[in-house]
Amino acid sequence: MTKITYRNSSIAAIVLLFLLLSPLQNKIDLQRKQMGFEQRLLLMPGQITGSLILGGFKGLAADLLWLQVEELFHSGQSYKMLPILRSVTFLQPKFVTPWAVGGWHLSYNISVMVKDHPEQEKAWIQAGVDFLKEGISYNPERYDLYFELGWTFFNKVKNYAEAVKYLELACKFPRPDYIDDALAHAYEKNGQIDRAIETWKKIINSGNSFSPTAVRMLHNLKTYGSTIVPEKK
Amino acid sequence: MVKAIVIAKNTFQEALRMRSYQIILVFALLLLGSSQLFSFLTPVEQLKMIKDVSLSGIEFFSALMAILASMTALRSEFETNTISTLLSKPLKRSDFILGKFLGMALVTTLGVVIMSVVFIGLILFKQHSFEISLFSALFLIWAEMLVIIAITLAVAAFASTAFTLIFVFFLFLVGHLTSYGFSLSGEMKNPVLQVIIKFFYNIIPNFENFAIRDQVVVGGTIPITYLLKTFGYGIIYTAIALIVCLYFFRYREV
Amino acid sequence: METNEKPAALRIEGLTKIFHLGRNKNVTALDNLSLEIKEGEIFGLLGPNGSGKTTALKLILGLLFPTSGQIEILGRDHQDVEVKNDIGYLPENPYYYRYLTGPEILTFYGRIFGIKKENLEEKKEELLKLVGLYDKQHLPLKHFSKGMLERIGLAVALLNNPKFLILDEPTTGLDPIGSRETRNLLLNLQAAGKTILLSSHYLSEIEKVSNRVGILHQGKLLALGTTSELMTQWKAGDIEDLFIKVIEWSKQS
Repeated sequence: MTKITYRNSSIAAIVLLFLLLSPLQNKIDLQRKQMGFEQRLLLMPGQITGSLILGGFKGLAADLLWLQVEELFHSGQSYKMLPILRSVTFLQPKFVTPWAVGGWHLSYNISVMVKDHPEQEKAWIQAGVDFLKEGISYNPERYDLYFELGWTFFNKVKNYAEAVKYLELACKFPRPDYIDDALAHAYEKNGQIDRAIETWKKIINSGNSFSPTAVRMLHNLKTYGSTIVPEKK
Repeated sequence: MVKAIVIAKNTFQEALRMRSYQIILVFALLLLGSSQLFSFLTPVEQLKMIKDVSLSGIEFFSALMAILASMTALRSEFETNTISTLLSKPLKRSDFILGKFLGMALVTTLGVVIMSVVFIGLILFKQHSFEISLFSALFLIWAEMLVIIAITLAVAAFASTAFTLIFVFFLFLVGHLTSYGFSLSGEMKNPVLQVIIKFFYNIIPNFENFAIRDQVVVGGTIPITYLLKTFGYGIIYTAIALIVCLYFFRYREV
Repeated sequence: METNEKPAALRIEGLTKIFHLGRNKNVTALDNLSLEIKEGEIFGLLGPNGSGKTTALKLILGLLFPTSGQIEILGRDHQDVEVKNDIGYLPENPYYYRYLTGPEILTFYGRIFGIKKENLEEKKEELLKLVGLYDKQHLPLKHFSKGMLERIGLAVALLNNPKFLILDEPTTGLDPIGSRETRNLLLNLQAAGKTILLSSHYLSEIEKVSNRVGILHQGKLLALGTTSELMTQWKAGDIEDLFIKVIEWSKQS
């Protein structure tokens, strides 16, 4: 084989293989989309995280930023924390912890800082709710954020109908034992006593670690008509 | 093919003597250090971060090892002129390149395996279980390394040591970013520009294909069809790089 | 054309090699070289440093690619990989994998030659004894002196029992005793029917063993023949005188 025919056939082989590669890449792209892989790029020039992202280490960048969020929170710089929290959820929206903890910071911690201004307090609680809802849109297949949102409605917003709605959703997925108990409480507060009793009975029958609690709750309901024991005079 | 295996064995032994595996020590220290560093976090966060650091570390250090060792394996033959004694023997140049590739593949495979064992050990210790999806991530890191080795050999076959290092590291970065560029190009109005971008998207190795780490550490599962497609992609790209390597090497004067 | 009873071991025709060193900068390392070496002959390629000797040898071995011209070894095209089964090559300043010992180097190259394991052990012992490295079996090559490297290089070159030996400056690293041993070895190899092509700028070395010599200067073959023929032709007293006269002549013309 002469040099020229050798080189020509090499080039032909290379072109042929690239032609094979192109449709394969399309299929890979399609499957990545179906699997919900996010094509996201956040450039933070001059920061180590920026270099990590450029090197394809998004998860690591998200971790570093998340550590920064934790540090800022614990040193009381809550407002400074928010944009970085946003970067974390942007980089790795399937990382659940930042959504959960972030929602809690907004509804519980920042809102308390402005409790002298009720309209601002309300706005921050709502911000936490919205944040969790956004998190759910990326993670609809797991209990975590449904529970966080349901509990925020229960405990902070005191909207029990919404609490029931999200805690019910949380119970559709594999979950820790306390979730069902929380749902039963939400039913009770929402006036759905039958559903509450039904849920506690289910807890008792399924060997859930909360069954002693459930027994006590059912007893209280029968005795006092409420799970809250009235104070003895 | 028999002669390629002789070359592969020698390449592997030379790489061991060059102490290519010292880099793994850095990885082990990083891993142990990080597991201590994150101890103030909740266990869930801590595990997520250990997995991130480990898988990123395995990918980065494997790539570093693959690039440095492959480059050395080829360049040192040129620089010390051992190549002229080899090619004056009845050894096909294609067998030489294939041997270098197989030798480096063995070196890198061993590196990935050692690091994976350290990683799996740590996760078993901390979590008492090990998700299958983490194996998927390790498998694709390994497949990615094959592509990197072949590309390094291809560049080292015609370029200097410094150029090879800079070019392959640059390609490693760009190869992780092309998919972003491509998804952005969807918003472009200029059709000519779109064609150009599509062309480069298909030419530049798409290392992002192999990156499932970020999904796996947050509990995602990876279908086997995806692993097969991506592995196929890796094999085809490796073949292309080896043909390019031989294209330059076949008539290289030594 | 001469009529020979023996066929050619090497036939070179119109071999030219031009190196391109950037824009408009070409160096003609070898200019239209034609040469025939008969089987069983020891041929010495003489020339000062940079005259194109190594270039010629590398072209023959297929390490470099000719700009033009043809090369045939033992009746076959020199780029045929199988031809190299019959060639032994000792490069100038041989350099092998530094961490290997003598026997390991021979094993490695033996495998490249496809020599069977059982034959290889025997061959290794024989060659290490021949080049005087048998008692240095456990020493890695990084501790070898220049002369020892030259010797192991010679062992590698003889590993495949080649019909045709190409030796580039075979005596550079050797002391006078080593040189003499090498010389005797070459004569023994010739007696065993091998063809030898060697290059050197040590003129007296070559003169003592070569049947014919060629004088190469600036890529051109200036003289070709037996030393006695050439000395008569150029009216030279000894080979050094011949060498200087040939080169002076080429500078004038």
